[in-house]
Amino acid sequence: FFQAPAYHLILEGILILWIIRLLFSKTYKLQERSDLTLKEKEELIEEWQPEPLVPPVPKDHPALNYNIVSGPPTHIITVNGKECINFASFNFLGLLNNEKVKSAAQASLKKYGVGTCGPRGFYGTFDVHLELEERLAKFMRTEEAIIYSYGFATIASAIPAYSKRGDIVFVDEAACFAIQKGLQASRSNIKLFKHNDMADLERLLKEQETEDQKNPRKARVTRRFIVVEGLYMNTGDICPLPELIKLKYKYKVRIFLEESLSFGVLGEHGRGITEHFGINIDDIDLISANMENSLASIGGFCCGRSFIIDHQRLSGQGYCFSASLPPLLAAAAIEALNIMEDNPDIFQTLRAKCERMHKALQGISGLKVVGESFSPALHLQLEESCGSRENDVKLLKRVVDYCMNSGIALTQARYLEKEEKCLPPPSVRVVITVEQTEQELDKAASLLKEAAQSVLN
Amino acid sequence: QKNGVSNGTLYKKTFIEHFEQAPMYVAVFTFVGFAVGTIFGYLRDFMRAWGLEKRNIATEREQQKDFVPLYQDFENFYTRNLYLRIRDNWNRPICSVPGPQFDLMERVTDDYNWTFRFTGRTIKNVINMGSYNYLGFAETDVNALKTVTIELEKYGTGVCSTRQEMGTLDKHVELEKLVAKFLGVEDAMVFGMGFATNSMNIPALVGKGCLILSDELNHTSLVLGARLSGATIRIFKHNNMQSLEKLLRDAIIYGQPRTHRAWKKIIILVEGIYSMEGSIVRLPEIVSLKNKYKAYLYLDEAHSIGAVGATGRGVVEYFGMSPDDVDVLMGTFTKSFGAAGGYIAGRKDLVDFLRTHSHSAVYATSMCPAVAEQIIRAMKCLMGLDGTTQGLQRVRQLEKNTRYFRRKLHEMGFIIYGNDDSPVVPLLLYMPGKIGAFARRMLEKNIGVVVVGFPATPITESRARFCVSAAHTREMLDTVLNALDELGDFLHLKYSRYSKSSHPELYEESRLELED
Repeated sequence: FFQAPAYHLILEGILILWIIRLLFSKTYKLQERSDLTLKEKEELIEEWQPEPLVPPVPKDHPALNYNIVSGPPTHIITVNGKECINFASFNFLGLLNNEKVKSAAQASLKKYGVGTCGPRGFYGTFDVHLELEERLAKFMRTEEAIIYSYGFATIASAIPAYSKRGDIVFVDEAACFAIQKGLQASRSNIKLFKHNDMADLERLLKEQETEDQKNPRKARVTRRFIVVEGLYMNTGDICPLPELIKLKYKYKVRIFLEESLSFGVLGEHGRGITEHFGINIDDIDLISANMENSLASIGGFCCGRSFIIDHQRLSGQGYCFSASLPPLLAAAAIEALNIMEDNPDIFQTLRAKCERMHKALQGISGLKVVGESFSPALHLQLEESCGSRENDVKLLKRVVDYCMNSGIALTQARYLEKEEKCLPPPSVRVVITVEQTEQELDKAASLLKEAAQSVLN
Repeated sequence: QKNGVSNGTLYKKTFIEHFEQAPMYVAVFTFVGFAVGTIFGYLRDFMRAWGLEKRNIATEREQQKDFVPLYQDFENFYTRNLYLRIRDNWNRPICSVPGPQFDLMERVTDDYNWTFRFTGRTIKNVINMGSYNYLGFAETDVNALKTVTIELEKYGTGVCSTRQEMGTLDKHVELEKLVAKFLGVEDAMVFGMGFATNSMNIPALVGKGCLILSDELNHTSLVLGARLSGATIRIFKHNNMQSLEKLLRDAIIYGQPRTHRAWKKIIILVEGIYSMEGSIVRLPEIVSLKNKYKAYLYLDEAHSIGAVGATGRGVVEYFGMSPDDVDVLMGTFTKSFGAAGGYIAGRKDLVDFLRTHSHSAVYATSMCPAVAEQIIRAMKCLMGLDGTTQGLQRVRQLEKNTRYFRRKLHEMGFIIYGNDDSPVVPLLLYMPGKIGAFARRMLEKNIGVVVVGFPATPITESRARFCVSAAHTREMLDTVLNALDELGDFLHLKYSRYSKSSHPELYEESRLELED
């Protein structure tokens, strides 16, 4: 001990004194959080007032009073007690009232009852589901198809199954709400490109490419997707699929196509936009559609290669954690598919009617037609807005009421104003179905002209 | 340990729930089992990567081989190597009504579960212990389905429009009035899918700046709805009121994180009966907490509506409380009513708000009218409005079946989770090998069961889940119990250290059985 040099002893002594000081000094927390006394805490709890659970809804809210349909929403529809011709339900192929479809559903009802009482994994898989999946895959000429029990949940569960946090999705601005919810659930980076603007999309893709070159390791594991719709619900036009395919192979992005409106409408046999453009269906990674429009049933499906679709059987939330589609609806969808396959000329008829209506609606003063000439779901928007969205909505309501009183059932396109990413302008929805006769189409067009004249001038 | 809390002031009858822990050796063997599976998984992957074993999975297209891979290899490790070995116990296709007995399609595999092939035969009259058919309304009796047949003929199958546009039929209005009357609330709204009811309405009710207190074991639909809303989510331990109270106090005292602004609203998300545990929510305590701290309560009665309560009105009736105590009553029609869809019920201003602001009302198709008719007739039957007492009889039968089944399983020495009154009966298996063995051997005895493993349950607590139905007869239950007895001995599943002989005072006979 005494043989150590002096500086060593002094150093040790200083260190020991330092340790003693540290042991007895006050500790500091990183965040100055003064502890509240119990009394103060109770006061805070007493004082806190939450907002009411729901804000009050004004009695004249445009969406509060629904149109009540008595009886089936078929070609002739009874809305609020008045009989009208139906220009508002998406019953494109008129299969809602088809006798064969109904008898197939009745047979299924007798055999299976109504509900399935379980999700697909736990005895909720019926042979009708398997048959419907096979038939859909065969019809769309893909390897496999998967069925969901609700149309909205189809694309909203499919996107988060593949795209996770950190992946990049390029989506069109006019994408429908279900796609927006799917993207929100996926937590990926969303990049919006202007509606149908391939130059804008290419710009975004190029920007992403330069980003990738800065960080190639991250780029190798970041998946990229483009999500587009075949026939857009909000604008009535189609996406330029051939250019998208070119961009796909150039920038190595996968394409998810949402075909709710174009399934059973576009293409020579109703197979959708891939048939319309003559594109090999394997080029599209995933096609999702709902069966609630052309097939006049409930539910949705996704189809594509087994490599892609099989993944959803374990990670599609709306598939694994929800009860399966009631068998009577699946049987109805199978019968509707049969009818579609046996009568391929209805698509031509539908297209002719759409063209006729599109032409007839041109030239209405005050209203402009938004949508392709072969799109069965058109929008009529005001040519010039009268200031606020509220007033536009009120004006269009008067147009709709005028038509309803004269026997044409129409509806305004409804949106959730605060939730949409790119809110479309208010519009009247006009739906053309295969059941409407030419006289009825002309009557509707002339009635709309009259309504516009009387309300807007 | 048993969780038998009988807080005399709040609970009108004894509330006994069991969550017995297995002996330590069971946990050890479970981990060993998973470890062996994992090691073999790595071995197989190695062999497949080096071409020593045939690859059976679907692969990416040739033209897209240089794209970023769609799936990470390790994401699918569990699926490929552990789930795949016992995959034949799930997704079993049936070809009859999912009643108390059903017909399964015979399915064989030639390549160890990679692909399946149907032999074309059906296995007839398999006892169904897996479907959520609590009151037995999944039936094909012509008389029972008479009104459904008529409505299907009248309305067709689809609706082709949303509620706010042209999709509200008079059937929906009728159904909503009936649901409101059934539950004893002012108004109700129905939706086409139960899962979507949660995921599309919770975001409408809460948003940024609100706080969601959600139970640990909530269903995926509740979790998805909470995430999509953008509110802050805090999780409290399952059915643990101390944990919930602490979270409530901290939330009100300290406010939002970092800014310390007050929360706009606090909403508590709970379920009536939890489907994996079989436990019933401690509703009286939650309601008293919610009243004290001015929070809102969202009760998801997917499994409990129709299944508990003296007249099938759910957990609110089970605890003798009033429906006004719960702010948002939500439920589904898939389980007890044999149909599809969901509802939200409560005060009129709540339902009016949902009619205008719910995502489902604006963008999603409304319910099929034939399905709505099935719910109407089932509900009328339950309420006695069809002139018979069949509804009450079904509820009583379910209660009797549940108590009998659970008591017998306890006596045999299995570890059962959950409340004595819940018709969802999880039987713990623990070890991964026993999951496959149990399900396959039960099928050989002509009984269809549901087994669940990781990731739906914690990794050490794989279980078989039985759903008792009012349509099960005493003979069917006895057949199942005998089979379970045999299988329990064969697979050594009787882990329970407490059986009837050692604690007779905890097994009071149900007063209903005495009235028999």
